[in-house]
Amino acid sequence: MAEEEKQDLLQLYRFCFLMLADAAKAQEIFHATLREAAQLAADGEPPRDKLWFFRNARWRCLEAGEQGLQAEDVDLGLGELADWAPAQIGKLESEQFAIWISAAPDPQRTALALFYLDELSFRDLLSVTELKPPELARLLGNGRREFQAWLDATFPMAKV
Amino acid sequence: MSAPVQLSRRDKILIHCGPIREEHVDDRALRTALHHARKTDVFAIQQNFDKAAAALVQTIPIPKEIIEWVPTETFIAPTRRPWKRYAQNPAFLATGIAVLVIAIVGIFQLVDRLNRFPGEPIALRLLTTASSNKSVMLDPVKTDAGALGDFFFMKHRLAHYDVPPEFADLKTLGCRVFDDEEGQRVAQVWVVEKKMQFFMFPAERDPRTGAVKHFNGWRYVDQDRWTGAVKEENGVCFMAALRGSENDLAPYVSKKKE
Repeated sequence: MAEEEKQDLLQLYRFCFLMLADAAKAQEIFHATLREAAQLAADGEPPRDKLWFFRNARWRCLEAGEQGLQAEDVDLGLGELADWAPAQIGKLESEQFAIWISAAPDPQRTALALFYLDELSFRDLLSVTELKPPELARLLGNGRREFQAWLDATFPMAKV
Repeated sequence: MSAPVQLSRRDKILIHCGPIREEHVDDRALRTALHHARKTDVFAIQQNFDKAAAALVQTIPIPKEIIEWVPTETFIAPTRRPWKRYAQNPAFLATGIAVLVIAIVGIFQLVDRLNRFPGEPIALRLLTTASSNKSVMLDPVKTDAGALGDFFFMKHRLAHYDVPPEFADLKTLGCRVFDDEEGQRVAQVWVVEKKMQFFMFPAERDPRTGAVKHFNGWRYVDQDRWTGAVKEENGVCFMAALRGSENDLAPYVSKKKE
């Protein structure tokens, strides 16, 4: 297996983790996705590209997310992106970011998870999220500002 | 101090999608928007924000079981050959079809140009004459077509108005001599076989030098289901015309006679 493909699969796990903020569930969905790919490959119809893995895992994650505990809907409003945001983000644990992303409604959840995974090109991102560019732009733009508001609430400026 | 950059509404929307890595920009509109936005502070802040968040994602620990479990064989189908992908691209497909059509038209024009010969316009006009004439308009002459050369010379002083050997044996019904639209003397002969008609007319000449424009062998013309086989010799063109196709004339012109 090519090293690139192996890295793609490891990123698939991170995607599952961002979607669910639960390592055990992420691992379970990762395994289930790979098993289905293996089955298809054995039947002579292997997945056409890496996008298949992300699409498949996405729907499994959304299904699993519906069955588990639902995040509380807390409206922190929208914040303006700040110069000091990287410093605020630097104080976060990856689990905290995953919790924040997994609490977002879909398709914003998928869009944010895939965007910050930094694995897919713009067109691939549109393809997997099944969004049009203006929709994706709105979801990402709002997501940033909501995240900034959450950062400001979690790490007020004075503490940074 | 540089003037503030004015972004269009479309650019303002698209820059929200600006990927963290440059190589992920695979859309022209997005690339243009990012090119415009790079000079703005807002986009610089967004990029720093995104890079920090993406770096945080890459710190998500991958369980040992996942690393060990990733299979050694590939599950992804081999990439299709690029030419197939290009062939399915509408832009390439449209361009390919356009090039093909241009090539076909070009080939037709080239073939048409290669088939043209001096005197072709007159031959086409005479085909129209052939399709509209009746044999009663002619002076009845029953002889071998090959014998009419002397007749045209003796009676009408038309030199070299000879029927080629390929058609010389055919029996005639009648003939006439007339002036065409350009005042050129044209000899017309009816023969019994297949209601064929022969025309003999002066070959085309160079308007500046007056020299005859020669061409070799038999050339075909067709118009309104009439076909003519034309040959030039000694400054006179001979055309055998009949209602039918090139295939109907081919057996005559292919036989060599001394």
